[in-house]
Amino acid sequence: MKYRYSRHLFVTSLFVFLFSCQFVFAQDIPTEPAAISAGEALFKANCKSCHRVKEKLVGPALAGIEGRAPSIQWIKDWIRNSSKVVASGDEYGNKIYNEYGKSQMTAFTSLKDDDIMNILAYVKDEANKKAEAPVAGPTTASAGSGDGVSSTYLDIILAGMIIILVLLLVILGLIVNALKKYLSQKELSEEDKEEVVSPYSLGSVVRSPGFIFIVVFLVAALGFKTLIDGLLTIGVQQGYQPKQPIAFSHKIHAGQFEIDCKYCHTGVMKGKQASIPSPNICMNCHVSIKSGTNTGEGEIAKIYKAVGFDPATSQYSGKTAPIEWVRIHNLPDLAYFNHSQHVNVGGIECQTCHGPIQEMDVVKQYSLLTMGWCISCHRTTDVSAKGNAYYDKLLEVHDKKTMKVEDIGGLECSKCHY
Amino acid sequence: MQTMRTVKTLIFSASAAVMLAGCTAGGNNPGREYAPNMYHSVAYEPMSQITDPDAGAWANSLEHGDRTGEYYNSNNYNPYKMNMRTPPAHTVKRNAQGWLPYRIARVPKDSIDIVVGNLKNPLDSSAAVLAAGKALYVSYCQHCHGAKGEGDGKVADKYAGVANLQGDTYRAMSEAHIFQVITNGAGLMQPHGSQISPEDRWKITKYVKALQKK
Repeated sequence: MKYRYSRHLFVTSLFVFLFSCQFVFAQDIPTEPAAISAGEALFKANCKSCHRVKEKLVGPALAGIEGRAPSIQWIKDWIRNSSKVVASGDEYGNKIYNEYGKSQMTAFTSLKDDDIMNILAYVKDEANKKAEAPVAGPTTASAGSGDGVSSTYLDIILAGMIIILVLLLVILGLIVNALKKYLSQKELSEEDKEEVVSPYSLGSVVRSPGFIFIVVFLVAALGFKTLIDGLLTIGVQQGYQPKQPIAFSHKIHAGQFEIDCKYCHTGVMKGKQASIPSPNICMNCHVSIKSGTNTGEGEIAKIYKAVGFDPATSQYSGKTAPIEWVRIHNLPDLAYFNHSQHVNVGGIECQTCHGPIQEMDVVKQYSLLTMGWCISCHRTTDVSAKGNAYYDKLLEVHDKKTMKVEDIGGLECSKCHY
Repeated sequence: MQTMRTVKTLIFSASAAVMLAGCTAGGNNPGREYAPNMYHSVAYEPMSQITDPDAGAWANSLEHGDRTGEYYNSNNYNPYKMNMRTPPAHTVKRNAQGWLPYRIARVPKDSIDIVVGNLKNPLDSSAAVLAAGKALYVSYCQHCHGAKGEGDGKVADKYAGVANLQGDTYRAMSEAHIFQVITNGAGLMQPHGSQISPEDRWKITKYVKALQKK
């Protein structure tokens, strides 16, 4: 009886042992690719916003977490409800909590045991990967200036060719003169003499009234055209491209990163001015992006100076100073213009008037901004009547399908001048 | 004599043309202004500022002993003589709905709890609200959070830690919670309350919720 009992005990303990072994095995981080890829998807969906495998972000880097944390079970508890772990007085939990500025990790109650193990599998796999050579980033940034350089080269080549041609002409003239001199010393037949001493010398052609008229006409016409062109540029600032206090590139922000114009120019839908963004909008990203593509840290440091931000400690000092941007577009006070009327109501793209801003490293005035320019657009542009009941009725009453801006008073003097 | 006069005239008009060509704008040169008094506002210009008191003194129409130049445009009573000012403290912005300003600040821990229980989106889920919300999402959120909210916008390449709004945690978030985060930021996200009006934030919230159901 005693024997049987002990044997029973033995079997039971064996079972318990085996079971516990199995339990330990279950706690082991899976290594099969399926688990890793499942973990990767979960990581990207749930963890990526605060954690990286090898870098510290909002939360700690997760590489080596299975060795650092007290146990796998602790990790599971922490992920599901970290505040409970902290509240229980857990030593490691409180240490982490204090280290990361007492900010609480979001509770992921929906993650099952297997999910967490898969995530850990992904983290372990990713941590064991050798640091790959960093992929060369986009190096096309400097390519933009290529056009300008090549056009200057073309000009230089053209000027060089013209100089060479003129020199050739001079040399040829000299040769002709020398030959003439040489031939005049020789005795020639009557026919040859006629050939050499032509009645039309250069001097006689230049002094002829016909030639003088042509030259005077050409010079006068050219001068007149330059004069008219010059007069027409008075009061037109098209092409004005001033150097700004911060070398902000629209090409990078609006082009490469596809940030909507309205994100920064917040006034454009609501008011007269599109508004120049206040530096707190710059800080939405540059609080952590501290080095730029074009200029490294130099230009971004100017934002930090303006808002009184110390990039080393990520603290604001409270000492601020304005950034003195140079205004580019400036309508004279005699004309009224409202951005919201055009962008919000009219649905016009910013690029229609401001040109390909998303390709400009330095912004320039793209359009004429003259009255003729306004008027020609008001004559050719259809009123955006879509989804506007007022315009629907107006079109119905006037028995029209579309209406140009001029049809609804877009050419009235007092619309813009009052 | 005749030719000399012609030559003189030609030289004169050529130099006039060259001088006029210098009026063309380009680079740092804004070009010559026609009626400069009209380009340089007498009233404070919110978007430009000229601090030199003698700027445009030649264009003054009246002579006064202590008058500043015609182009001078700065407010002497403001810091840095700025023309624009931040709104005074404790003032309320008017809005069409008569909503009071949103004042729950970013206090770690508590703010979200306070908001989640007590705040409700005052807007309905009508098509118009969702369409407006989508347009606002494209302007203010898409470059980081991506068109589908998966945290894969272009900026997310450079700005690490953009939330994937399709994650379970974010799907489970209440509208009030999202509103609070847009307003005051959370984690790495910076506050956007200064850029987006409360009504627009509620519209975005509605759209994000609709996006998560897709």
